[in-house]
Amino acid sequence: MGDPTFLKIRDLIYRISGIYHAEEKLYLLVGRCGRRMTALGVASPAEYLEHLTTRGNRDAELRLLLNEITIGETYMFRHPAQLDALRNVILPQILQVKGLVSLKRLRFWCAGCSTGEEPYTLAMFLLEEKDKLLSGWTFDILATDLNDNSLETARAGIYGEYALRSTSEALRRKYFTDVGDKKLQANAIVKAPIRFDRVNLRDDSKMLFQKGIDIIFCCNVLIYFDLASKRRVVQHFYSNLLPGGYLFLGSAESLFQVDDSFRLVHFPGTTAYWKPTAAQASGGKK
Amino acid sequence: MNAQQRSQLQAQIDKMDSVSTAPAILTPLLELLRLPSDQIKLEKVVELVSYDSSIAGQCLRLANSPLFGRRQTETVRAAVMALGLEKLRSMMFGLCMNGIIPRDKWVIAPEVFWRHSLGCALVTQRMAKKIEYPEPEKAYLAGLLHDLGFLVNSVLFTDKFRECLQTASEQHLSLHVVEEQILGFSHCETGGMLGEHWGLSKELVDAARCHHNVSLLPTAGPLACLVHLSDLLCRVRYLGYGYDEIMGVELDSDAAWQALVGTYPALESMDLVRFTIDIDGAMDQIVATVDSVFGRGIAAPAS
Repeated sequence: MGDPTFLKIRDLIYRISGIYHAEEKLYLLVGRCGRRMTALGVASPAEYLEHLTTRGNRDAELRLLLNEITIGETYMFRHPAQLDALRNVILPQILQVKGLVSLKRLRFWCAGCSTGEEPYTLAMFLLEEKDKLLSGWTFDILATDLNDNSLETARAGIYGEYALRSTSEALRRKYFTDVGDKKLQANAIVKAPIRFDRVNLRDDSKMLFQKGIDIIFCCNVLIYFDLASKRRVVQHFYSNLLPGGYLFLGSAESLFQVDDSFRLVHFPGTTAYWKPTAAQASGGKK
Repeated sequence: MNAQQRSQLQAQIDKMDSVSTAPAILTPLLELLRLPSDQIKLEKVVELVSYDSSIAGQCLRLANSPLFGRRQTETVRAAVMALGLEKLRSMMFGLCMNGIIPRDKWVIAPEVFWRHSLGCALVTQRMAKKIEYPEPEKAYLAGLLHDLGFLVNSVLFTDKFRECLQTASEQHLSLHVVEEQILGFSHCETGGMLGEHWGLSKELVDAARCHHNVSLLPTAGPLACLVHLSDLLCRVRYLGYGYDEIMGVELDSDAAWQALVGTYPALESMDLVRFTIDIDGAMDQIVATVDSVFGRGIAAPAS
């Protein structure tokens, strides 16, 4: 690891994407840079830093490095701490607020759902809570992405072992059908609550249209946006959410100096951004 | 707790030394912990370690463990150098405290307790540095000692304290809340009393006494506020008391944060997500150190 250039690369990645690596975990970044350096035929970290900062291909290279950094992030039940926070704190809190005033309906949005692992995870989680926490409530999940190929894969819902590595046998049996070739396909029950759609988060007119959302997941998507676009998207998210709603980002993503409308909340093992209701905002703590 | 109950409790705590044996090196060790790393003299540490055969043995065992490259360390001096001062003083303190609580009185798994205490020490120190608090070493000590009340409650109220932990764990509640209900006081009060008995500074005693009591925090001084925030952060990063608490914590809306911001404006420019990720990175080391002290995965030294 030794080479201090990697710290510069770490800081650059943080400044541009909001993704941060602790010094003790720098070896992860070193490995990922190593793969890009091999692909480019670059010998030293200093030369690679030039590719990321001053060379003509820097935007493309940065994107490729960010892809390396987030690779392997997409499998089902990747972030159990987020689901625990939903079950233990967030949903009870939202149900309490909404139960008093509106229809017993919850809306979730996976913004940048890629090949669909996240919305299917969420659908399984919510279906499992249907007769418990969510008894008497209905829910739907909007799952959007910019990439048509990813959406195609997500709609088909056919996954191999990697995507299902953290999905229990019981859930596999309940929500998937064996389609041979060591693959499982999501069945109608788990597909029913999800609506896949193509949405460009940079498209203001479409963003304005999404309303009444309770919880947004947008993991490792904003990292590819420049600061101005990131601010815009986050502001949209803020208005898309109902008061009392939450935004989840990727586990190493920070909105520091991007937005101060949301309030950062730490839950065991995860963090989320909160849009409190007027009463909650004046009451301080949840 | 009324004045009479308080004085009875204090009398019990004052007698704790005869119930359990505080190692002789405790007082000089506390002195050592107060100093910045660069002012600690190696010879002094070697002397201290050599004084207690069980601690010297543990140092050799740890220095010879895979965690430190399984060296052939045969002298205390070599072991001290191999381990480094940071790890060593945390380890020594942990071992000292283990001496205070008889084996059958531990209500919480000792490694869980030490992970939380060392985690809190580290977070408090790092946060102190971030906000430019002038004495980060003292902050480390405040974090390390904030739960001294656990030791008191384990030794003096073993069964009831066990009941507190069980109830807190089953109902996913904060321990101090349950302690108030079952014991009538929490580990904050008893920790503060033990700290006073040991002659710790008022700031350190306040940090132990007020780390859960938000209403006292703004007047309790910056160390108590730092420890309060660090304790919360540890508990949401799996370094709590070994059970799942149900909590959502807004650190930057907390009374302790608000109290600190006025005096330490650097707090406002702290990226809390980034800080949390940094802490997570360091936590692996803490867990490894504590586990090695408690003998997990450590081979016995070559005889």
